[in-house]
Amino acid sequence: MGKQSIIPFGPQHPVLPEPIHLDLVMEDEKILEAVPSIGFVHRGLESLVEKKDYQEMVYVIERTCGICSFMHGMGYCESIEHIMQVEVPARGRFLRTIWCEMSRIHSHLLWLGLLADAFGFESLFYQCWRMREKILDMFEMTTGGRVIFSVNKVGGVLKDMDEDQIRQILETIDWIEKELTKIKKTFLFDYTVETRLRGVGVLTKEQAHDLGAVGPFARASGVVLDLRKRGYAAYPELDFEPVTSEDGDCWARCEVRINEIFQAIDLIRQASAKIPAGDLAVEVKGNPEGEYFMRVEQPRGEAVYFSKGNGTKFLDRMRVRTPTFANIPGMLQTLKGADYADVPILILTIDPCISCTER
Amino acid sequence: MSNIMNFSGTILKNLFSKPVTKNYPAEPAQYPERSRGHIENDFDQCILCGLCMRNCPTGAIVVEKNEGNWKINRFDCIQCGYCTLKCPKKCLSIVPGYQEPGPEKFEEVQHRDVPAPTPKPAAADSAAPAGENAAQAAASTGDGYPQADLSQCVFCTLCAKKCPQSALTVDRTEKKWELAKEDCIQCGLCAQNCPKKCISM
Repeated sequence: MGKQSIIPFGPQHPVLPEPIHLDLVMEDEKILEAVPSIGFVHRGLESLVEKKDYQEMVYVIERTCGICSFMHGMGYCESIEHIMQVEVPARGRFLRTIWCEMSRIHSHLLWLGLLADAFGFESLFYQCWRMREKILDMFEMTTGGRVIFSVNKVGGVLKDMDEDQIRQILETIDWIEKELTKIKKTFLFDYTVETRLRGVGVLTKEQAHDLGAVGPFARASGVVLDLRKRGYAAYPELDFEPVTSEDGDCWARCEVRINEIFQAIDLIRQASAKIPAGDLAVEVKGNPEGEYFMRVEQPRGEAVYFSKGNGTKFLDRMRVRTPTFANIPGMLQTLKGADYADVPILILTIDPCISCTER
Repeated sequence: MSNIMNFSGTILKNLFSKPVTKNYPAEPAQYPERSRGHIENDFDQCILCGLCMRNCPTGAIVVEKNEGNWKINRFDCIQCGYCTLKCPKKCLSIVPGYQEPGPEKFEEVQHRDVPAPTPKPAAADSAAPAGENAAQAAASTGDGYPQADLSQCVFCTLCAKKCPQSALTVDRTEKKWELAKEDCIQCGLCAQNCPKKCISM
C-alpha cells in the first residue's frame, strides 16, 4: 500500500493541445481516480443566437469546432429545416454527404497522427498528416476554405462540384486508400505500437453503454451505434454497416477509426456515383416556429442540436451537445487503474475536442 | 520479424524521394479559384445600401452612405461570404489572396464624393423651392428611387416586406402604394422582388 498523492494534469500539457484539467489521484504509478474540470475556453456561442438571426447563425455554429465544422453547420441547418419543413434537393443532400465523409477522413487522419505523436512515433505522425493535407486541398478546391467551409445554408448548400472536381476527389481518395493500407500495418501490427495500445484502457460493452459513450469510442467496445443509420443527408440511399470492434482497448479504437476511413472512402465513391443533377438549395421563407432535436454522427461521435424557434428571426434557444462531453465519463472509467504513462494515450483515444465541448 | 519491420519500406522510400512540402517563399503557393481570400467591392457598382453591414455576422463592414464611405476591417472579417449573398447589386465578391498579418487592426476605406445627401433637396423642394437646388433635385428624384406602374401593380405587398428600411407602405384594400423617400436607400430590392416587375428604379 503506497502513499496517495494528487498530480494535476493540464490544462497546459506538452502532449495535449486541448485545455482539459484532470486531478489524478495516484498510488505510486497507478491512478485511483481522475477528477476532471473543464470550462477554460468557454466562448458563449449558444447565447449569440439571441443576437444573430437564424440564417447568420450557421456561420457561428460552424465555428464551434475547427475539425467537424462542416457537420456542425449541417446539423444546425437540418434542425432548422425540420422545424420549417423544408426539403433539401437531392443534389444538396449528396454534396453534404460527400463533404461529411471527407471531414471524417480528415478528422480520423488527424487523430491517427496525434496518436502516433503521443506514443512518440514522429515519422508515423507526419505520414498521417501528409495524407490529410491532400483532403484539405480538396476542401479548398470545392468550398474555398481549408478548415471553415461556409457552404451550408438553411435549405441546402451554396456551392456545387463539377465533374472535374468529383474526379479529382476520387483520385485523391484512391491515393489515400493506397497509402493508408501501407500505414495500417504499422498502426495495427507493429510490435512497439502494439505494446503501447493492446490491453490499455479497456472499456467493456456494458460500461460503454451505461456511461453513455458515443462514436468510435463506443463502437470499439462493441456497441453498434451509428447515427448515420438513422438517416439524414443522403445516407439512407447509401449502403454501409457501422464499423465495430470487440476488445474495447486503445488498439480497438485505433482499428475502428482506420476502418472508418476506408468506409468513408467507400461512401464517397457510392455517393459520387449516385449523385443526381438538380438544384443545390431551396429558398427558405419565413421564420422557424417550433422545436427539433437533430442527431448527427460526427467523426468523434454523436452530436445533438436542439433548436427552438418562436416565429421571429431570432431563435429562443440553441443547444449543442458535442461527442466529447458524452465521452468524458467513459474516459474517466478507463483512467481508473491505468499507469500514469498511459494517461495521454487514454485521453487521446476518445478524440477529445474540449473547445467544442465548452463552446 | 514482420512485426518490427513494417515501417522500413516507407523509410526507404522517403530516403530517396523529394520532400512533400513546398519550398514556400521561393515557390509561390497556388490558390484554387474558389479560395476564400478576401472580400472585394466593385465600388463603381456599389450603391452604399448598407445591406452588407446589416448582415455581417462579425460587424466587419461599416457603410456611411452620407459620407460616401464603404469600410471593411479585414481583421474582423471571417470570409463567410454572407455579404456577397445579400448584396442586391452583386458588387461584392470573395477573391483569392489572404490579408497579411499586422500588429494592429485597421479599416480599409473606399470613398466616393457624394454631391449632397439625396433626401434633403427633395424635402427642401416641397417646402420652399430654392433656385439653384431645383434642377439638381429634379434630376435626383427622377432616377434612383423606385417608381411603381400602378396600372400593373397587384398590391401584393412583397416590395414592402422585402424593403430593408421599411420605406414602402402598401395597402391592398385602399389600393395605395407609397414611398417614404427620406427612408429609401435605393437598394433596388423592391424592384428585384416584384412579381409583376412593375417597379422601376
